[in-house]
Amino acid sequence: MTQFRRVCRWLHRELGFFTVGLTLVYAISGLAVNHAHHWDANYQRGFEVSHMEPVGTGFTVDVLPIVLDRLALADPVKNTWRASEEHLQIFQEGTTHTVNLVTGEVTTESVKRRAMLFDLNFMHLNTGKGLWTWVADSYAIILALLAITGIFLTRGSKGLGGRGGVLMALGIALPIIYAFWMNLN
Amino acid sequence: MHKILSIVLAAAFLIFAAAGATAEGQVFGKGVSLEKAVKVSDLLENPDKYVGETIRVEGIAVGVCSHRGCWVELASDKEGDTVRVKVKDGEIVFPPELLGSVLAAEGVWTANKLDLDTTKQLCEHKAKQAGENFDSEKVTECMTLYQISGTGAMVMDMPQKSLKKG
Repeated sequence: MTQFRRVCRWLHRELGFFTVGLTLVYAISGLAVNHAHHWDANYQRGFEVSHMEPVGTGFTVDVLPIVLDRLALADPVKNTWRASEEHLQIFQEGTTHTVNLVTGEVTTESVKRRAMLFDLNFMHLNTGKGLWTWVADSYAIILALLAITGIFLTRGSKGLGGRGGVLMALGIALPIIYAFWMNLN
Repeated sequence: MHKILSIVLAAAFLIFAAAGATAEGQVFGKGVSLEKAVKVSDLLENPDKYVGETIRVEGIAVGVCSHRGCWVELASDKEGDTVRVKVKDGEIVFPPELLGSVLAAEGVWTANKLDLDTTKQLCEHKAKQAGENFDSEKVTECMTLYQISGTGAMVMDMPQKSLKKG
């Protein structure tokens, strides 16, 4: 038993140190995506309305140069699209301008990746798939090992037979109770 | 022994992490394998002709699902028309940065006949988005929703290469 406990301690210590980075990635991103219904965890979005002199609903080939001239955009234009008779869209990197050709109203929507958080969420949600799946799977196995080896770290009243056991039972009961409650509702 | 094991473990993890972090380019899901694209205007003029077929379409990405990136709207070669490429949630994520890029997408062309209530709900949603008034009494016919059940996509141009000015 002493030898087994020693192996558990070694595994717990080594794997624990090794996965600090990944644990923080998953913890920070977890907090962010848990509240995805309150905010966009990946992007900062901007919305602005401005006005220009109306151009009229002529042929796109005629109105587009005038619109671009009046908008006087500093950054390069990626593409343009006549969404309807009244609406012309101009796409720039991360920005979309929707011009109402009749009223002259210009709606500018911008989108920018949240620094660091985008990458953390990308890893957490395994959006890229591929080899990161191996990393994520390995991390999941390591988490299970950390949980199991953690049980045997301490002996006595603070260990499995004492307070540790009670805390463990509470931790196991929590998801079980929630699962029952979910199925009842 | 323990030290060696720790180092091997750490090295293996870092190699996988580095490989995983390598960008897969602008390819989504299974990418595209068909070489010939169906023109979006042809597709929309004869929608029933292609139902059940695996097709490739190309167009400017003019709309992207802002919640989960689970669909992208491609512009037709005919002004004003678009076609939607819908993918399974989480399987492929279309980022909003795609807007304005020319995209090739592949998948099965599907037809979904809606009942009258759902048709009304959809029309109401579209009217709301367009800022128009909606009268549910005017909707009397069921609508068939056509879209591509997407399996993959690929950006055909880098933004800098598709500049259009004037």
